[in-house]
Parts: sequence; C-alpha cells; structure tokens
Amino acid sequence: MATATYPPPPPYYRLYKDYLQNPKSAPDPPPPIEGTYLCFGANYTTSDVLPTLEEQGVRQLYSKGPNVDFKKELRSLNGELQLHVLELADILIERPSQYARRVEEISTVFKNLHHLLNSLRPHQARATLIHILELQIQRRKQAVEDIKRRREEARRLLNESLATLDGH
Amino acid sequence: MDIISQLQEQVNLIAHLAFNTVGTLQRDAPPNRLSPNYPEPPAHATEDGSNFSEQPKLMSTTLVKAAKQFDALVAALPISESGEEAQLKRISELQAENDAIGLELQKQLEAAEKELNQVQELFRQASDNCLNLKKPDDS
Repeated sequence: MATATYPPPPPYYRLYKDYLQNPKSAPDPPPPIEGTYLCFGANYTTSDVLPTLEEQGVRQLYSKGPNVDFKKELRSLNGELQLHVLELADILIERPSQYARRVEEISTVFKNLHHLLNSLRPHQARATLIHILELQIQRRKQAVEDIKRRREEARRLLNESLATLDGH
Repeated sequence: MDIISQLQEQVNLIAHLAFNTVGTLQRDAPPNRLSPNYPEPPAHATEDGSNFSEQPKLMSTTLVKAAKQFDALVAALPISESGEEAQLKRISELQAENDAIGLELQKQLEAAEKELNQVQELFRQASDNCLNLKKPDDS
C-alpha cells in the first residue's frame, strides 16, 4: 500500500478551523524555553555566556575570581604544558602503563588554555568599543572645528562684501 | 588577524607538534628489553643509528620554538591593567563626551544653517533690487 502523492494535512489543522472568527479558539504556541535544554544530544543554554570549566566537567588549573592575570596564567600554563610533555616522554620509558594520566593532564592544560583565551573575548570587545568611541569623538571634534572655521571664513567674506558695497 | 586568534592558532600548533613529537618517538624508538627472561631484542631496523636521534631533536626544537612564540604573543597582548569595571567606566565617560560633542556639533550646524539662510536672504534681496532696477537716491 503506497502513500498518496498529495497526502492530507496533519489532523491538527482542524484546531485552527475557527481562527479567523475567534483567534483564541486555536491553541497558544509553547512558552519560551529558559535555562538549558538538550538538542541532538548536546547541552545548550538560552543565555549566551561562556560556560565555566567546572560546568564543562574540566578541572580548572588557574586561580578563580573576577580579576585574573591573563598573561601570568597563560605563561604558567604554557610552561606546565612543556613539563607535562617531558614527563610523558619519561613515563613512556620508565612506566609505560601510566601514560593515560599524563595524556589526561596534557588535555586538561590545553582545555584551560583555550578557555582562558576565549575568556579574553569580552575584554577584547570592550577595548574595541572604546577604540571606536575614541575615533568617533575625534571625528566629531574635527567636524566641529571645520564648521567653525568655515563659518568664520563666511563671516569674513560677508564683511568684506559689505565694506565693498558701502564704499560706493 | 587579531592577537587572540593568533594565540588560539598557536595553541593548536603546539598541540599538533606535541602529538607528532610523541608519535615519532613511539614510531622510531628502538625496542627495549623489559625483563632478563626475554631474549635480546633485535637491532634497530633503521639504516643508520644517527637517523633516530635527529628526528626527535628536530621536532623537540620546533615544539620549544612554538612555545617561545606563544610566550612572545602573550607578552604582546594589549591587556590593560584595569579590569572590567574600569573598561565599563571608560566606555561611560567616552559615551558622555561623545554626546556632549554631538550637542556642540548640532549647535554649530544649526548656527551655520541660520547664517546660510541669512546670506541667501540677502542675496535674494540684492537680486530683486537688481531685477527691479532700483537705484539709490544720489541727488
């Protein structure tokens, strides 16, 4: 039994039969989702913020708190990464069965590095906004000076013309 | 490309180099005798002995150079010592200054427009006088 070429619409179209006469007779749309929700197995959030490392299930290696010294933490994480690579080489020689923990440590350092760099994006956005505002102020000041200069020039030309006319 | 993206690509490069360094070590390392009970492992199958130590040295050098490049990029980050509150305060100050200069610009534009209208009015009167051939009384 094959389906028809033009199958009928889904049965719930009947719910909107009286929509033109009475819009309230049709069901309301679902309310907006708040918080987090699953979509194709991935966890999404309705507020666009960068999730913290704990929320992602990763151990945080640098200091917590609002004021992070990004340069110091990035340099220390870089050094720690090099040490972990060296330790991995040593472990592979002396205790090969314990490589997994070292690889996990290296992975954690990389995740922390990328998280720190992504955390710099809001700072970068604010700095860009400051730069744009400074440029705008500079252009406006230039425009004000330009208008003042041209007004003065026009006034001078007008006075010269009036003097010439009065001379006759 | 902005410097944060450069840093992110540098981190990815370091990861790539670290992975390849360990990979070449595992691929080229000679077999090791784990216990006296096992027979002596065969000699390394490379054509010459120096070929093994050259590749890891080269890759390790590249990895260390990439790490130093990362440190240089971190040093070049234009992060001000001020935090988020100082940035927001600076944005508010710039916004207020921007509004003030905007008002000044508006005032200048209105004054310029007014003067332009005055000049146009004078020009129109002069043109009308010329067209009407009015002459000043010089008796």
